[in-house]
Amino acid sequence: MNTIIEFANSVFKPIMSLGAPPLMFIILTVLALCLGVKWTKAVEGGLKLAIALTGISAIINILTSAFSKALTQFVESTGINLSITDVGWAPVATITWGSAYTLYFLLIVVLINLVMLTLKKTNTLDVDIFDIWHLSVVGLLVLYFGHNLFIATLLVILIGILKIINSDLMKPTFNDLLNAPKTNPMTTTHMNYMMNPIIMVFDKFFDKFLPFLDKYDFDAAKLNKKIGFWGSKFAIGVYLGIFIGILSHQSVKDTATLAFTAAVCLELFSMIGAWFIAAVEPLSQGISNFASKRLKGRTFNIGLDWPFIAGRAEIWAAANVLAPIMLLEALVLPGNRILPLGGIIAMGFTPALLVVTRGKLIRMIVIGAIGLPVFLISGTMIAPFVTATAKAVGAFPAGIPSTQMISHSTMEGPIEKLLAILVGHASQGNIQFILYSLLAIAAYILIFIWYAFQMKKRNRAYAEAEQNK
Amino acid sequence: MIKVLAACGAGVNSSHQIKDAVEEEMRNRGYDVQADAVMIKDVNEEMISKYDIFAPISTPDLGFDISIPVVEAGPILYRMPAMSAPVFDELEKVIKSISK
Repeated sequence: MNTIIEFANSVFKPIMSLGAPPLMFIILTVLALCLGVKWTKAVEGGLKLAIALTGISAIINILTSAFSKALTQFVESTGINLSITDVGWAPVATITWGSAYTLYFLLIVVLINLVMLTLKKTNTLDVDIFDIWHLSVVGLLVLYFGHNLFIATLLVILIGILKIINSDLMKPTFNDLLNAPKTNPMTTTHMNYMMNPIIMVFDKFFDKFLPFLDKYDFDAAKLNKKIGFWGSKFAIGVYLGIFIGILSHQSVKDTATLAFTAAVCLELFSMIGAWFIAAVEPLSQGISNFASKRLKGRTFNIGLDWPFIAGRAEIWAAANVLAPIMLLEALVLPGNRILPLGGIIAMGFTPALLVVTRGKLIRMIVIGAIGLPVFLISGTMIAPFVTATAKAVGAFPAGIPSTQMISHSTMEGPIEKLLAILVGHASQGNIQFILYSLLAIAAYILIFIWYAFQMKKRNRAYAEAEQNK
Repeated sequence: MIKVLAACGAGVNSSHQIKDAVEEEMRNRGYDVQADAVMIKDVNEEMISKYDIFAPISTPDLGFDISIPVVEAGPILYRMPAMSAPVFDELEKVIKSISK
């Protein structure tokens, strides 16, 4: 036995000590090979992941180095403590994929999906492998705060099941929003739609008390056309850089540097995001082939990344209007420490608002403004974890003060993140936290059941309308 | 050369899958095709006018009339050859009609 452990250590220790990029290169390549991916494709994927990790580290370095001093002075001159740099989704996704646990959680969720399909508990085959990172963050948070893999796995299983059920519940609404026939198989298990139950509560409130507001809905596409390039990543980088520069009393020269550095970083983050999604591609195809071979002869819906409904202009109109609102909220919200930058276009929220309200724009904006503080608080609370994970994969600059942190202001599934923090603390055995966690999970499940009931009612109405046609 | 524009939410995931698949399959079928992937909210009239074919996941409401042929490329994302074949056939038909 000892010789085996010694042998394993002598093999794995040197590999582990290589750091995240080479380690993930090896793991991803081997995994893709095991799934029967052609070896050149497997190596290509592995290399792209290592390069994406290295690249994203370099850009985080540029951004935090440039903003570290300004954000400290921002706190001094305004008295508002917003010292966490908002890097947006791409760096958080990349560093999450830099952890081998993500592959473990992926395996669990693929198994759940196959079991549910076999037992006919769902009709959705999820092929959106890349977006497992949202759920992996939940698992990693439990591990970060509680060091208990078993409990982390349980929470991932619970939310994984609910996400798949949700994709079935939303299916008829997607057909409606896309004006697609019943045969259209597109649906999604994306984490951002786990906000639906809470949005539904407010939507019902609107139905009862504020239905007259709906008549003020305006043309979303026209608004987006007017906003034009002002809503694009580099423009946002420029004016938020200027905003921070002015409020932190930087010189004109330094303010210009901040503005252009932010613009460059926001553009590069999503370019590198594309590399690393391409890196996971062979793995995604391998898993899809494996699953569809086992489910031959059965027709099912297919779980994609959320943007198959990105053609709906309301998603972008609401995000555009909500961006300045969120900036104001960030300045006054007690407990918030994030200054919105990379995540200021709230793509992690507006698709869910669209699905629940079915495109009622005023509702999307009002409920959005009410919901965004939850995202800011969740983003603030996970900042130590995001920063530590970035450091663990070598994606954090060395010269920055240890109080500096990074996070994502509008990360999908803020409720799930808060739940994970509670459960993480509880898994250390603290009675108070165990009690809170159980209550929170009970509330989470109950509100989901209520939401499922409402969605089934909606889906019956769709079915009736179909028949009466 | 035929230029295709793919678009999705962040311009990094779905649209890149469409771009890569369209370029590979159309080259296999003997066409000189180059595709770009962008964020759908950055698509405007000027950008679209520089392309020959627009290949979104499903037809979007952009606030203006799309002046070039649109081929809905959603089924490419299902990762099943039998389901994506009709998209490529449609693309091939459009390419032929443009090249005439």
